Amino acid sequence: MSEPSKTKFARWWKNLNVKHALGLPLVLLVVTTIVYFLFQPNIFSGGTISRLLTSNFRTWLPVILVTIGQAIVILSGGLDLSNGAIVSVGNVILALTVTSPDEPMKNLLMVLVVIGFGLAAGLLNGFFTVYLGLQPVIITFASSFIYSGLALVLLPSPGGAIPREYTNFYRNTQILGIPLALIIIVLVVLIWGFFRKRKYGRFLFAVGGNPKASYTTGVPVTWMKISTYILSGFFAALAAISYTLLTGSGFSGSGDEMTLASITGSVLGGISMSGGAGSVIGAVFGGVVLGNIRNIISSAKLDSWWRTLVNALVIVLVLAGPGLINLIRRKK
Amino acid sequence: MNSICLQTNHIKKRFGGVHALRDGSIEIRSGEVLALVGANGSGKSTLTKVITGVLPKDDGDVIYRNELVDYHNPMAAQKAGIMAVYQELSLVPSLTVSQNIWLANETRTKFGFIDDQTMNDKTSELLQLFEGTFQSSLHPEAYVKDLPPDERQIIEILKAFSRNPDVLILDEATASLDSNQVNRLFDLTQLMKAENKGLVFVSHRMDEIFRFADRAVVLRNGSTVGDVLVKDSNEDEIVKMMVGTEEGLTKAYAVDTVVPSGETVLDAENVSNERLDNVNFTVQRGELVGIGGLRGQGQSALLHALFGNDYYTGNISLFGETHTFNHPKEAMKYGVALIPGDRAVEGLLLLRSIFENFHLPNWQAYARPFLQMKKAQKDAQKVSDQLNLVMESLESPVSSLSGGNAQKVVIGKWLLREPKLLLLDDPTKGVDVGTKAEFYKLLKTLQTGGTTILFYSSDEKELLDLCERVLVMQDGSIKADLSGDKLTEANLVYHSMGASNNTNSHEEPTHV
Repeated sequence: MSEPSKTKFARWWKNLNVKHALGLPLVLLVVTTIVYFLFQPNIFSGGTISRLLTSNFRTWLPVILVTIGQAIVILSGGLDLSNGAIVSVGNVILALTVTSPDEPMKNLLMVLVVIGFGLAAGLLNGFFTVYLGLQPVIITFASSFIYSGLALVLLPSPGGAIPREYTNFYRNTQILGIPLALIIIVLVVLIWGFFRKRKYGRFLFAVGGNPKASYTTGVPVTWMKISTYILSGFFAALAAISYTLLTGSGFSGSGDEMTLASITGSVLGGISMSGGAGSVIGAVFGGVVLGNIRNIISSAKLDSWWRTLVNALVIVLVLAGPGLINLIRRKK
Repeated sequence: MNSICLQTNHIKKRFGGVHALRDGSIEIRSGEVLALVGANGSGKSTLTKVITGVLPKDDGDVIYRNELVDYHNPMAAQKAGIMAVYQELSLVPSLTVSQNIWLANETRTKFGFIDDQTMNDKTSELLQLFEGTFQSSLHPEAYVKDLPPDERQIIEILKAFSRNPDVLILDEATASLDSNQVNRLFDLTQLMKAENKGLVFVSHRMDEIFRFADRAVVLRNGSTVGDVLVKDSNEDEIVKMMVGTEEGLTKAYAVDTVVPSGETVLDAENVSNERLDNVNFTVQRGELVGIGGLRGQGQSALLHALFGNDYYTGNISLFGETHTFNHPKEAMKYGVALIPGDRAVEGLLLLRSIFENFHLPNWQAYARPFLQMKKAQKDAQKVSDQLNLVMESLESPVSSLSGGNAQKVVIGKWLLREPKLLLLDDPTKGVDVGTKAEFYKLLKTLQTGGTTILFYSSDEKELLDLCERVLVMQDGSIKADLSGDKLTEANLVYHSMGASNNTNSHEEPTHV
C-alpha cells in the first residue's frame, strides 16, 4: 500500500473518488453508453453519433437541469420534492402565453416571468424550511401540491402551441457540430465551477457536512440553505423552458416524473443523500445515465413501467450499497 | 494588574424551566489565563456560548473593550475578535484539515477564488506547533472524518488560533489530548499571553487549572461564587467552592478493598483484530480492573470486542464457557454491559425521555405479555434516585440534561439489567468532580455486590484511586499488568509511554 508503488492511474482514480465521488458515476456513464450503442444499428456510419447526441441531449436537458438544482440542495443537506411541480407551472405558463413569434418582447417577458416564478417558489421553500425548522421533505412535498395545483388551474387539459420557429431553434441548433443542449450543459457546469471555487462553494459543502459546526464557525448557514432552494427553483424554471421548447405544448403534469428522476440522477451522480459530498458534474453524469437507461429500455422494447422500476431499484441499491458492504464485512 | 478586556455582568439564561445561568459574572483580562471552574451543569458552557454569540442571553450585560455589546451570532463575535474552542467540536468531517481551519476565513486570490495552495501552506505552519504529537497521516489535505479525536481537537484549537483572536475561550480543549499535546497547548497559551490576549480555560482537570491559569472563577448552579488568584489558592479551596458543602470533599470511593473470589469470570486469549494485537488477560469475579495507557491504544476496541460489537480472532471465555459474540445482544444475554465513551452517539436517544432511555435495553423484563408500565416507572425512579439524577421529570428529554447527568442515564439503563460484567469506556470524560465521586461510590457498591468491572479511563489518577489492578495498553496489546506495590503513577506513566520512549528510559521502573 506504499504510495510510490501505486500507478499514476490508481492515484488519479482514488483522487477522483475521494475528492469528487465521481468514480461510480463515470463507470455507470461508460457502461450505459456502451450498452446503449450496442442497441443502435450503424453506430459507426457517418453522422449517426452526431444525430444521436442532438436528439438525446435535447430530450435529456430538462431532467439534467432539475438534477443539477436538486444536487445543489442535497449537497447542502436538504431535499426538494417540489422541483417537478415548478417545471409544470413554468411549462403551463409558457404554453398559454408564448403563442406567436411576432411578439418577441412579450415572449421574452414571459420567459422572465417563469424564471421569476422559479426563484420565488424556491425562496418560499427555503424560507419555510429554515424558519419553520421542519423537515425539507415535508415542506417541499406540501408546496409541490400548491404548485401542481396552480398548474392544473391554469391549464386543466393539455394544450397550447409554441411557435415552430422557437422549437426548431432549440431542437436543431448546432454550433461547431455540438448540439445546443450540450452547450447549455457545459456552460452551466462551467458557471458552477466558477462558484464552486469561491466562498459559496466552500460554504455549501461545509453546511452539508455539518450545519451546526458551520454555524459556530461563522458560515451564514440560514442564507446558504435558502439559496440552494432558490437555485433549485431557478434550474426548475430553466428546465420548464427547455421542456416547453422540446415538446412545443403545455401539460399540467409535465414535471411530475422529474422529481424522482432528479433524486435518482443525483444519487447516480455520486451525491451523498446526507449532504456534503458529491459534485454537480456528477449530477450531470447521473442525468445522462438516466437518459441512457431510458433509451436502453425503449430500444429493448420493454414496457415503460420498467423505467420506474429501474429508477426505484437504482435508488435502493445506491443508497443501501454502503450499508450492504458493511453487513458483508461484519459477517466475515 | 492587567486591564479588563471582556466583562460579563449578571448574565441570565434559561432553557425551558431549567436555569442554566442565574448570575454569570466574569472578568477576562488581557495577558491572563482565566480558568472557568465548576461542576457539570454549573453553566460554564452556557456562559461561554453567550459570550461568543452562539446563544442569546435572557438578561445581563456583556462589556467588551469598554463597550456594551450584544452578539446575535458567532460571526459577529468572531469579527470582533472573540473565538472559542468548543467541547463539541465545530469541525466539518467531510472537509479537509485545511478547509476546516480556514472555513469562513478563507484566503482568496485577487479574483475572489479560494486559494487552497496558500491555505495548505499556512496549515502546515500551524501544524508545526503540535509537531511530533500526532500521526504522520495528519496533513493539511487529510479529511477530518479520518482523524482520531485528539487530532480533531488539535485542528479545532489551531482553527481558533489561526484567527488571531483577542479573546480565546478553550472549553474542555484538553479533554481528549495526551500529555505531550497538552504541553504544546500550554506553550501556545503562553505565546498568546505574551501577546496580551485574554484567555479563558475551562477544564475538569485540577492540575491543568493550576498549571495554565492565573486566576480562577468558580461557577455553581449557574452563579459566580468565587474569583481567586490561582497562586494564592489550592485545590481544596477551589473544590470546596465548586461543591459548596464540606461533605463533597471526602473521597467517597475510599472504601475497603474487595477481595476477589478467585473464580475466573473472563479469560481472553490472543484476542486480535484491526486495532488489537494478541491481548491476553484474565479477570476474577468481583474484581475492579482498570485499563490504562495513552488515548487510542486499543482500549475501546478491546471493550467493544468483549461486548460483541466488533469482530476479533482469538478466544474469549466468560464464566468458564467460550463464546463468540456476533452482536451485543448475545453478550447482553450473558450479563455483559458496555457503558460507552461517546454518550451522545453510542449511548443515548437524546430526543426521547429519560424514562425511555432507561428502559431501552430492558423492556423484555416487563412484558407479561403487556408492558407493566407502573413497575417500569417505579424501577426507573429508583435508579434515578440511586444515581442522584438532577432532572425536571422522568418524562423530560435527555437533551435537557447537563453532560454529567446525561452520563448517569447511560449508566442507569444498564444498572436496571443488573449486569454481571460491566465494561466502562472512559465514562468520566468531561464529568465534574461531584458526579465522579458519586460514580466511584456506585462502582464500589456494584463491586461489593459481586459485579465484575472492567474500567478504561484516560485519567491516571482515577485508575490509581479506584482500581486494585490496572492493565496498561499500548499499540493494541497489554504492556503491563500492575497491581499491589507495582501500581504506582510512575509505573503507569512509564508503561503508557512504552519502553522504547527515550525520554523516560532513565527512570528505571521499580519492578521488571
